Amino acid sequence: MRTDSKESFKDWVIRAWPLFPAALYLFGFLIIVFVYLACLSLSETSITTSFPTLNSFKELFNDDEFHSALVNTIVFTVIGTPLELIAGLIFAMLVYRTFFMRGLIRSIFLIPLAIPALVTAMLLFVLFDYPGGHVNHLLLGNYSIFPAVIDTPIGWRSSNLFAMGISLLGKIWRDMPISMLILLAGLNSIDPELFDAAKTMGASLRKRFSSIIIPLILPSIASVLLLRSVEMWKEFIFPFVLSGRNRLMGTLIDYYYNGLGNSHMAAAVAIIMVVCIVVSTIIILKSMEIIQNILYKR
Amino acid sequence: MADVLLKSFTKRYGSITALENFSLEIKNGEFVTLLGPSGCGKTTLLRMIAGLETIDGGELYIGGRLYNNVPSQKRKIAMVFQSYALFPHMSVRRNIMFGLKINKIPQEQINQKLEWVVNLLHLKGLEERYPREISGGQRQRVALARALVLDPDLLLLDEPLSNLDAALRETAIEELKRIHHHVGKTILYVTHNQVEAMSMSERIALMNFGHLEQYDRPKVIYDQPKTVFCGEFIGSPPMNFFTGEIHVESGVTGIMTNIGYLKLDSERANKVKDFNGRKVVAGVRPQNVYFKGHHARRRHTDSDIEISVELIENLGDRSLVIGRNKSGTLIRFLITRDDEIQIEGKMSIFADGRQIHLFDPSTRLNIFH
Amino acid sequence: MSQIDRKLPMAVGKKVIWGSGILLAVFIVLGPVYLLIKYSISDVSSINTGGEPIPLWPYHPTLSIYSYLFSDIRFYRVLMNSIIIALSSVGLSMLLGVPAAYILGTYRIPGRKTILLGIISVRLFPDIASVIPIVQLFINLGVHQTYLGVIMAHTLLALPYVIFIGIGAFESIPKDLEQQAWVMGADRFQTFVKILFPLAIPGLAAAAIYTFLLSWDEFIFAYFLSLGREDIFTLTLYLNGIKYAEPQNLLSAISVCLSLPVIIFTLMVQRYMVAGVTTGSMK
Repeated sequence: MRTDSKESFKDWVIRAWPLFPAALYLFGFLIIVFVYLACLSLSETSITTSFPTLNSFKELFNDDEFHSALVNTIVFTVIGTPLELIAGLIFAMLVYRTFFMRGLIRSIFLIPLAIPALVTAMLLFVLFDYPGGHVNHLLLGNYSIFPAVIDTPIGWRSSNLFAMGISLLGKIWRDMPISMLILLAGLNSIDPELFDAAKTMGASLRKRFSSIIIPLILPSIASVLLLRSVEMWKEFIFPFVLSGRNRLMGTLIDYYYNGLGNSHMAAAVAIIMVVCIVVSTIIILKSMEIIQNILYKR
Repeated sequence: MADVLLKSFTKRYGSITALENFSLEIKNGEFVTLLGPSGCGKTTLLRMIAGLETIDGGELYIGGRLYNNVPSQKRKIAMVFQSYALFPHMSVRRNIMFGLKINKIPQEQINQKLEWVVNLLHLKGLEERYPREISGGQRQRVALARALVLDPDLLLLDEPLSNLDAALRETAIEELKRIHHHVGKTILYVTHNQVEAMSMSERIALMNFGHLEQYDRPKVIYDQPKTVFCGEFIGSPPMNFFTGEIHVESGVTGIMTNIGYLKLDSERANKVKDFNGRKVVAGVRPQNVYFKGHHARRRHTDSDIEISVELIENLGDRSLVIGRNKSGTLIRFLITRDDEIQIEGKMSIFADGRQIHLFDPSTRLNIFH
Repeated sequence: MSQIDRKLPMAVGKKVIWGSGILLAVFIVLGPVYLLIKYSISDVSSINTGGEPIPLWPYHPTLSIYSYLFSDIRFYRVLMNSIIIALSSVGLSMLLGVPAAYILGTYRIPGRKTILLGIISVRLFPDIASVIPIVQLFINLGVHQTYLGVIMAHTLLALPYVIFIGIGAFESIPKDLEQQAWVMGADRFQTFVKILFPLAIPGLAAAAIYTFLLSWDEFIFAYFLSLGREDIFTLTLYLNGIKYAEPQNLLSAISVCLSLPVIIFTLMVQRYMVAGVTTGSMK
């Protein structure tokens, strides 16, 4: 299809008009979202202050709730992203080789993704119930197959540490198939004869892993880190169901908006979340670049 | 460097047996080629020796030591793959050094070896390039360099020249011969190309469907093919085959075949004189079929085969002629560029009695072996 | 030997380690699913054990909770809400998305790349961040706490995927067919209706199913947009709302109902998912 440089805007409109409703819908919403977020966060509930003002942000930074939510989210992301990568990598390596029923096992590994996040959260809600959920009973040694590790049941949802822990567990369990698929694609793109060659030259499994697999799937690893870190920053469902008072930034927005009725602080949190995402994306991209340079030049 | 002994190698894939009771011995420093059509098991055999496939049955001895359960990493073997398997994320230098670094060779020695192999294989100046930046021929040399630098007991080559164009292949064949002469390693080479095998090997192991058909020097295989397959596979253009029976009559011995009467020379005649009537498959190379014309070479023939010319294929300095006799059987023979022949034309041809190979129709074995 | 079907030789010891790895992995994946199902068929005594450890298999497995569920008017109400919203979302997304996919998938428009980039970027913005503005907007538009509001929100979420999948569907139709139709005298509209659209249906069906499932599982927007109006709650919201009140077997039963459409669809389609991600990177 040649595009005539002389084609006027009018011609373009005539050709492309079916596109417009969808484009308008999407971009319209996008613009509205930005505008509203900006307006809301830069104003305050009290009518007395003029627009724009940073008072909402100031209130936010003075709020302990925000502090703990921010810290929680940072820890959540920093711990969760590498864990998701490792989980995905382990599963991908398990199904990389051909074996009896490989297709079936791979399909089974996709199941966590098929289950709605809310259901997974609900399941963990039930399993980690206090005082008598499955997990508490397991750790207390009430099942013969497992030894007793604790002597009083743990209140999973009440403590910050444990609540974050089970949210993370649920998130990683549920999203593992995505990492696995991306990493599997990367693994499959490696010429298998490279492993043969390395073997004949004396490379052990560990050496083959570090010298061949990791450098060659670096793009896949980067994709996983980027995508998963964004997911961690904006996580809502798991902490919402499982962790009540201990909030991440996602549930904090719900707290301010639905709980306190303060749309301005809620919008401010949203803006900060987006900033965090942008910053962490840049950090990850830069780090991957550095790592790539190290591995390739050594 | 070492002798290699394969004893009764067996390999199964489910219900399919790729190799059964395959035995082979290779002398120290020898250049042996495993030659055969696709699927005959030669690559499988090579991979079993390299440790990349399990040995289902039989034993592998290198230098007198049993190697069956030694993992691939520990075998003192280097392999060059058909696709070269160069690490795309490493430079030529790092590719070559890879094996040395793993075996913890001191850096000084590594540099010496690198220097040596780069000069040997004309790779000077390319050390910092990456595989995607160099040509196919250069990649092949890097793969070879990477293998040689490890100083292996045995060098395995899996169809390393099949991705090169004809001209490059010629050069590469000469290179390999030169290197073998220089370095003196035991080499096991796998190919389906008989020209490569014939020009480079000290001995050829001709394989078909997992079986060893013949194992001998190239000249011997060419002159005395052990089975119909050997006659068929070696030699270009391919051998003619005819069915017939031995005919002994008043001092004249020959084979009565579907193409005509093929007279045997005295030596062969003597060997079959007691087998009048025995059914045989007779093989004659196109090179050993002549026609009566101004190039009649053998005067002692008085048995002619009448054919009409069906097709002439120009091969450059010679031409391949396909002729058909009156009962419809085809025969191939060669003529030089000076011979004038026309399609549909009639000719008389005869075969060199000393170069007729006779095979048993059921065992396919050469009856003179 | 093809690139993927390689049997690599492994020492027996390694095989055992790797085999147990697979078993462990399967257990980790299927274990929770099993527990979910187990809870949904548990009788009361297997749940309210009064301090005794909860059995790994119910004392008296029963489907009674399901029959309770299916006779509960509230459940049907909520189920209907989910279905209505999901189907309407499919309708609206397809209405908007199919024409867009048609244009982007069939013609090379100047600015195509930018437009595509823009469409992806819409999805990069976090849901939870865009929820507040959307709610505010809907309040101003008067669609807050209505079916329409949730439908519009779900369409917003699904539209980029519909367009992408749709582009794939239209792109896979050979150019010749369209040109053939033109040569035979059809105008653009007729070509679309009679030739292109019918051929794109399999791909568009995938987009429709994806949208349905997306809406079916969606929680965040449904929650923010329906809070206060329990009669338009979707199944997901209902489940969340009763989590403190109802016994676990009921929660699990509802969860199972929620999960079934997705699991079935995913299992049917997973072959293509894996292929789709891998074909691009295979040589």
